Amino acid sequence: MPAAKTSLCLARFVGLLGLVACVLFTFPGNARAADWSGVDVTGAAPRLRFTLTDANTGKQVTARDFHGKIVLLYLGYTHCPDVCPLTLQRVTTVLSNLGTQRRDVRMLFVTVDPARDTLPLLRQYTAAFAPEIIGLRGTAQQIARLAKRYRLAYSVSPATATHAYEVTHSSAIYVFNRNGRARLLEASLASRTPDLKGVTQDLRRLINAHGGGAMAWLDQAL
Amino acid sequence: MSITLSTTPVATKPALPDWAIFGLILAVGGILAFASRTFPASMPFFAPFEFSWTEYLAAVCAAWFYWRGVARMQASRRPNPWRQFAFALGLGLIYGVLQTRYDYMAQHMFFLNRFQHLVMHHLGPFLLALSWPGEALAGGLPPFLHRLIHSRPVQRLTWALQNPLLTGVLFVGVIDVWLYPPINFRAMIDPRLYTFMNWTMVIDGIFFWCFVLDPRESPPARHGFAVRLVTVILVMFPQIALGSYLTFATHDLYAFYAVCGRLYPGISPLTDQAYGGMMVWIPASMMSGVAFLLALNNLRLAEDRRSPEQMTEAERAMAELSRRWTGR
Repeated sequence: MPAAKTSLCLARFVGLLGLVACVLFTFPGNARAADWSGVDVTGAAPRLRFTLTDANTGKQVTARDFHGKIVLLYLGYTHCPDVCPLTLQRVTTVLSNLGTQRRDVRMLFVTVDPARDTLPLLRQYTAAFAPEIIGLRGTAQQIARLAKRYRLAYSVSPATATHAYEVTHSSAIYVFNRNGRARLLEASLASRTPDLKGVTQDLRRLINAHGGGAMAWLDQAL
Repeated sequence: MSITLSTTPVATKPALPDWAIFGLILAVGGILAFASRTFPASMPFFAPFEFSWTEYLAAVCAAWFYWRGVARMQASRRPNPWRQFAFALGLGLIYGVLQTRYDYMAQHMFFLNRFQHLVMHHLGPFLLALSWPGEALAGGLPPFLHRLIHSRPVQRLTWALQNPLLTGVLFVGVIDVWLYPPINFRAMIDPRLYTFMNWTMVIDGIFFWCFVLDPRESPPARHGFAVRLVTVILVMFPQIALGSYLTFATHDLYAFYAVCGRLYPGISPLTDQAYGGMMVWIPASMMSGVAFLLALNNLRLAEDRRSPEQMTEAERAMAELSRRWTGR
């Protein structure tokens, strides 16, 4: 191949690379990252989908039952000594910051330890925090499916002669909009420096984004 | 170690027609896809964690076409058992880090993720290139794929990608782009982007190591051995720089692992990151050293193949001189 042609090929290729880089760097997640307290995951994480059992009613629920609400999704377990109660406490604070708008929010507390977390125990546990926090329990497969979908890690190792019962789980809270689209990952609530104001603002923005008409339809379709 | 791959007799009439074999591959894929979606909690370790049709089909079909190509070759032309073993090992390792439960572990521990990338981009493709499977694959490919690979656009693209500067920049570039923290976060969250990332790593790895480990002289290779030797050494330094930067970083750069959970809570984020950095720094750049020696050996073998008539006066004199101490 003649040298001129090769360099033309090369120039085109470099141009293409530049274009790809531009697209990557203008990802919505980067461009507007500063505006949110959480990490913007719009278009990256899959939409809300699950089948689990509601601890309050004992009935099976799916994502459809929470349509129209801003949904916070969290994995935890009731015997959790630190991270879960701390996180739920802070979510409760955020909910009270929201005032009357808290009625548009539901937090789903999904237990990763269904062997010990019975429905009554789960109900009692979430009731100690706020009525918007709903305990959900599922089979091992249902929980694994949910965790895999949102790339969340968890493990349960029952007690042995040498080890105590041990459960590990992620600290992430996924936030979904009214149409069940993943919008944010809130990471600060279990940390030493929780951004309570920022999280409240994030939720308020999602609550106020009514997105009537064509936008809502587009959101549904995508 | 006994290797039985090469001793399979030439199959004059295949036991099963192509469509039946492909149907079987699709059926097994369908079962794996369904099972990994529906029963994620009870899948064995060797079953895929997140089944990917593209990764599964590419790996299984490559193995099929290679084996068929080898079986169709004359016994004397077949690649030697070590090359066949390198092909099987390279392909098996890439498949193993992507389509088993190891993938879950690599999603939740930074240093395991770096090991996954080391296998996808360095070790696996390196072994595939070392096996130099072109001839065997060409014999086993279905005609339409053979035509596609030899079509002008594909040939021009592979030619262009063998520009040493481009090859080197791409090799280091894909590592850097996917490790840029905001992009890394998104790639770890988005299953589609994740698969795309894995594909770019494997394909770029295969291109690069085939460029470096090409046993042929130039021509028919686009560049001589000197260019390849220099390229494989130059890509080492950016990897050392990035690896040592990650190893000695004093804050957690990759938020994904903290947010979505680490596999071993006993390993702190910074320790995890330091191990990951060492993975980029040491074994990744050591591969350049190994490849350098192998390429030098390729150069020696290529020179040995030349007959005295193909040499210049000076080269003949040099060959005569070195015969006194090499004994060849």
